[in-house]
Amino acid sequence: MIRLTWLQFRTQAVTAAAALTAFAVLLAATGPHLASMYAADGLDSCHGSTCTNLADYFAGSLIRSPYNVLWLLSTGVILLAPAVVGLFWGAPLIARELETGTAALAWNQSVTRTRWLAVKLTIGGLTAMALTEALSLIQTWWAVPISQAAADGASIGFAQSRFSQLNFATHGITPLGYAAFAFALGVAAGALIRHTLPAMALTLAIFAALQVAMPLWIRPNLAPPDHTVNPVTSLGNALASQTGPGGDTFTLYANSIPGQPGAWLLASGPVNAAGQATSTTPAACASVGSTGPGTGANQSASPQGSTTGPVAFLGCLASHRIREAITYQPATRYWRFQATETAIYLALALALAGYCFRRLNRRRS
Amino acid sequence: MTAAIEASGLGKAYRRSWALRDCTLAIPGGHVVGLVGPNGAGKTTLLRLATGMLAPTYGTITVLGQRPAAGPAQLAQVGYVAQDTPAYARMRVADHLRLGAWLNPGWDDELAQRRIAQVGLDPKQRGGALSGGQRAQLALTLALAKRPELLLLDEPVAGLDPLARREFLRSLMEAVAEHGTSIVLSSHLVTDLERVCDYLIVLVASRVRIAGEVSELLASHRRLSGPRRDPGTLPAGQDVIEESHTNKQSTLLVRTDEPIHDPAWTVTPVSMEELVLAYMNPASDIPAHRPQLGVAS
Repeated sequence: MIRLTWLQFRTQAVTAAAALTAFAVLLAATGPHLASMYAADGLDSCHGSTCTNLADYFAGSLIRSPYNVLWLLSTGVILLAPAVVGLFWGAPLIARELETGTAALAWNQSVTRTRWLAVKLTIGGLTAMALTEALSLIQTWWAVPISQAAADGASIGFAQSRFSQLNFATHGITPLGYAAFAFALGVAAGALIRHTLPAMALTLAIFAALQVAMPLWIRPNLAPPDHTVNPVTSLGNALASQTGPGGDTFTLYANSIPGQPGAWLLASGPVNAAGQATSTTPAACASVGSTGPGTGANQSASPQGSTTGPVAFLGCLASHRIREAITYQPATRYWRFQATETAIYLALALALAGYCFRRLNRRRS
Repeated sequence: MTAAIEASGLGKAYRRSWALRDCTLAIPGGHVVGLVGPNGAGKTTLLRLATGMLAPTYGTITVLGQRPAAGPAQLAQVGYVAQDTPAYARMRVADHLRLGAWLNPGWDDELAQRRIAQVGLDPKQRGGALSGGQRAQLALTLALAKRPELLLLDEPVAGLDPLARREFLRSLMEAVAEHGTSIVLSSHLVTDLERVCDYLIVLVASRVRIAGEVSELLASHRRLSGPRRDPGTLPAGQDVIEESHTNKQSTLLVRTDEPIHDPAWTVTPVSMEELVLAYMNPASDIPAHRPQLGVAS
């Protein structure tokens, strides 16, 4: 059965190996130069806040380099790999046998359907997991300078922290879970619908829906978040601006927490001295805010640039004991989140595999 | 000898229709069984139930004394050639044989290689490039080389030209002679089976109309022709299967175990084809089934 599976799986396996090789060669060819850029910017030997400045400089130079594109491309490949596996390996596994009638051939040899499916699922599933994880490890190695710069405090839009949606889903062990799940999903959809094309469509729809739902609604709740209240002036890159036409309300943007580098910010909002949520500009601060640019006709526009206006405004808010309440997951929970999410996907994959076995044997007496 | 197939109250229902109903059968081993019926009568369903490709909605079926597809040992004893004789489009003929060798402990590779050479299949050819006849031969080779005790063939000759048809049946009969395999083969054309089968099952509109050994069936059916007469006046024990009347004359096909004594009738034996056609005729008047024929009412 293992030999037959290999015989039938050969083409897909060779294609996957070729794609993996191309991916590895591309990143191996560019990785050393990216690392040398990082080293040339002095990030290897910096200390303290110098690092943040250097990292920011490095990040700025990346934006205008092909590495930006390469990073997005390789991340996209890792995100799509499980879907491709589910569509082209998973969905046809049972559906095509039923469609072409070869199921009658496959299931009437001296091998039970259970064993037939067990071998196919094991080999296909493990190969899918190995492929996706290999892509992830290669890209993780390649992107070390970028991840390091982000950890050093650089503001890198596309790779903010390990918890950012793109990073979390392409690094660590989550790709293993995605690959196993997508493959099992494809097989199960094929067993249910019995036609390859609609099974592929269903696989794609469910996988895409879950990959959107997971970071938006499920992942943040995998562990109870921590809460902290911080002075507004201590927030790294906080920006404050007035939004109301008469300067009576304001908004506050925070994207890091002092003393919690790499934490995952889930929600934040200003609170007043009594700890209640507020967005009302203290009367004394209204004039401070209105001295900045962007006042007048454009008051409701996006946060203003870096002039004295917002900084003064921030200081005024702080003096009125307005602080920022932040809900977050600390960076130390990274592997706990990775493990939990991977376990969820693996459990779903096992449940789907169980469904396939039931479905295949249900047709027997 | 264990019955090849035993079914009791077997039924398969789909959402809105019956594919097979009330099927009670006991097919003894060692026969070449013809399963005849019009298209859509339930032949494929019965065979798929016997291979375990389908599960029954009602009733039970055992094949060689076991639940179909119960385990590797049971699977090894039953060969199945599906209606469209599928082959993997991208796998070569030789790969199909390797598949058979890998998956069947009782694989007879010498037989497989010999048959492939005999029927002129190129081992390098891919499944997708084979003609219908070649695919049928490949499927039969796979099923035969597995050395099953029971071989189920669903419309195996439907896609073949008359010459290939004869060749196929001949090679099938060789296999029976050589290994004593029991065979069930279905067809909607009785002429395909006439020469080869010694046991007959007629399946019409998802019900078994009649089942029995060909010699017994032929011996118990007579065609009577004579002056016009109401079939209701026939003596007990003579069941009318089919009747046709002109102004003056009646022609009846009756089943009886007794000799016909009425001198008014001209009695002629029936051929297998006539017999099958009579039972396949939807207008035919099927009498209460008799238990020795193994057909449930």
